[in-house]
Amino acid sequence: MSVNRKAIRETVLGRRRITFARASLYGFLALAVVSWVYILAGTDSGLGDLFSGRSWSNASSFLRQLLGLEDGLGGGGRPAFFDLSRWGETGKLAYKTLMMSVLAIGLAGLGVLVTFLPAARNVSNGELGGRPSAGMGTLYHALRLFFAFTRAVPELVWAMVIVFFLSPGILPGAIALGLHNYGIVGKLSAEVVENMDPGPARALRSAGAGNMQMLAYGIIPQAMPQFLTYLLYRWEVVIRTTVVVGFVSAGGLGREFRLSLSFFQYTDVALIILWYLILVVAVDLLSAFLRRLVRVP
Amino acid sequence: MIWTGTPRTKGLARLFEARRLLSLILVGAFVWSLTGVGWKDGILHTGGGDAIKDFSLALFPPELSPGFLRLALAASWQTVVHAVAGITLAIIVGVPLGIIASGSLGNPGRTRLAVAVGVRFLLAFMRSIHELVWAVLFVAAFGLSSMAVVLAIAIPYAGILGRIYSELLNDVPEGPLDGLRSAGASPTEVLFYGRMPMVLTDLLSYSFYRFECAIRAAAIMSFVGIRGLGFEIQLSLSDLMFSEVWTLLLFLFGLVLLVDYWSTRVRRSLGS
Repeated sequence: MSVNRKAIRETVLGRRRITFARASLYGFLALAVVSWVYILAGTDSGLGDLFSGRSWSNASSFLRQLLGLEDGLGGGGRPAFFDLSRWGETGKLAYKTLMMSVLAIGLAGLGVLVTFLPAARNVSNGELGGRPSAGMGTLYHALRLFFAFTRAVPELVWAMVIVFFLSPGILPGAIALGLHNYGIVGKLSAEVVENMDPGPARALRSAGAGNMQMLAYGIIPQAMPQFLTYLLYRWEVVIRTTVVVGFVSAGGLGREFRLSLSFFQYTDVALIILWYLILVVAVDLLSAFLRRLVRVP
Repeated sequence: MIWTGTPRTKGLARLFEARRLLSLILVGAFVWSLTGVGWKDGILHTGGGDAIKDFSLALFPPELSPGFLRLALAASWQTVVHAVAGITLAIIVGVPLGIIASGSLGNPGRTRLAVAVGVRFLLAFMRSIHELVWAVLFVAAFGLSSMAVVLAIAIPYAGILGRIYSELLNDVPEGPLDGLRSAGASPTEVLFYGRMPMVLTDLLSYSFYRFECAIRAAAIMSFVGIRGLGFEIQLSLSDLMFSEVWTLLLFLFGLVLLVDYWSTRVRRSLGS
């Protein structure tokens, strides 16, 4: 049975190609084994800590302090999440965090709107109108490289760099988040144009439409819904990351999270995690609603 | 929601035509978010403009001395090790959880549904907290170690992988499955001989994408103090060695490109 299946797959896919997939599997397994050995053999692996009684009692004490069942070093008193004024104060930060995520997605979206057309192969080589030229070809490659680079660098690293230039607040964090998501949405949107049905554009061209008319009636109507859907999906991811970027860019909940943690005010940490979960759920629901609006014809 | 109004609705009704409403909401939201920026105090640091210039010029050329390249290579290796360990653990946990959450394991019934819904909630909780927040919590609870970082990557990634795996398993065409069922296959056999083979390529390709993300996640784990590319970037930034920062950024870029290329090759060899 197994011999048979192998034979069939090799006939269908070709022997050499299957071999690459299998070699990759073995290669990845080898990499995994080496990585785990490297980590577990390291002096700071922490595996021993993970199974030692002392660190579990530390962890459970930490958890009890998070839940306000045990007084920690941060002074006792009422747990922050039973304190209405603390809810109000952190609520303002949650509001800022939401603002930061919207600003990030807005900046990324604006950037993509300006650049996604020349980054599509079928636009740059003149298939969908325009004139092919060396300049367009270079622009295509440059934009694709820029997308790949902005995408490869994580938001937090962008934030570390950008706080060097901008004053603290929601803007540096939003730009950091925006840059990373610009690369992601830019690539996806350019691919939407590349995979688009060329029929309407060709029909417009043969009817004598100019470049601008092709863009307005042939390309944008097809690409726009996909672009907005990607943007809204990324917003759901961005809200989760905004808190983290706030760690360095000093905007919103992230800063408060770090401060509370370093002052051992663990019930505040729990309150911030609560706000964080509220934001995540709210944005997921809102984005689902807006994505439905996108799909309405 | 299906729009049922006539094309000639006027005035207020037109405002709420879906597309207009959507544009209004999106533009409004962006304008609202702009009001959160402290424009009055100036958006640049004093000297921020010069810093941007210094930083940009430092790319030409980046730091390429053999000693620093060795350091960047070692940092990349550390990052890869944490990413690989994290993603393997995430896959090992995510596959069974994803299968259970898809509700295609075992006989249909209330128990199966209840377990599937329970696991879906668990997956949602695991992935709704960012990996770095998990890392901060683990380090606070267990102390700084490689294991804390690996777990911090593995938990949210298992949550994401489990969800995607379960969705893939549920979205297969029913035809081949009916064939198996009519030949007398049990639900579990349908899962392993029907659903699994059909989704294998998508499953692999998504896992590869997550591996790429895990490399980024491992790089930013420097924030809790673990060594790797992010850690070196932080050090070079605080020393104002911008050309070193560029070298490290390019190494990170290289790693991500490498995984991306590998993934494309594997997918092509599997014929998709």
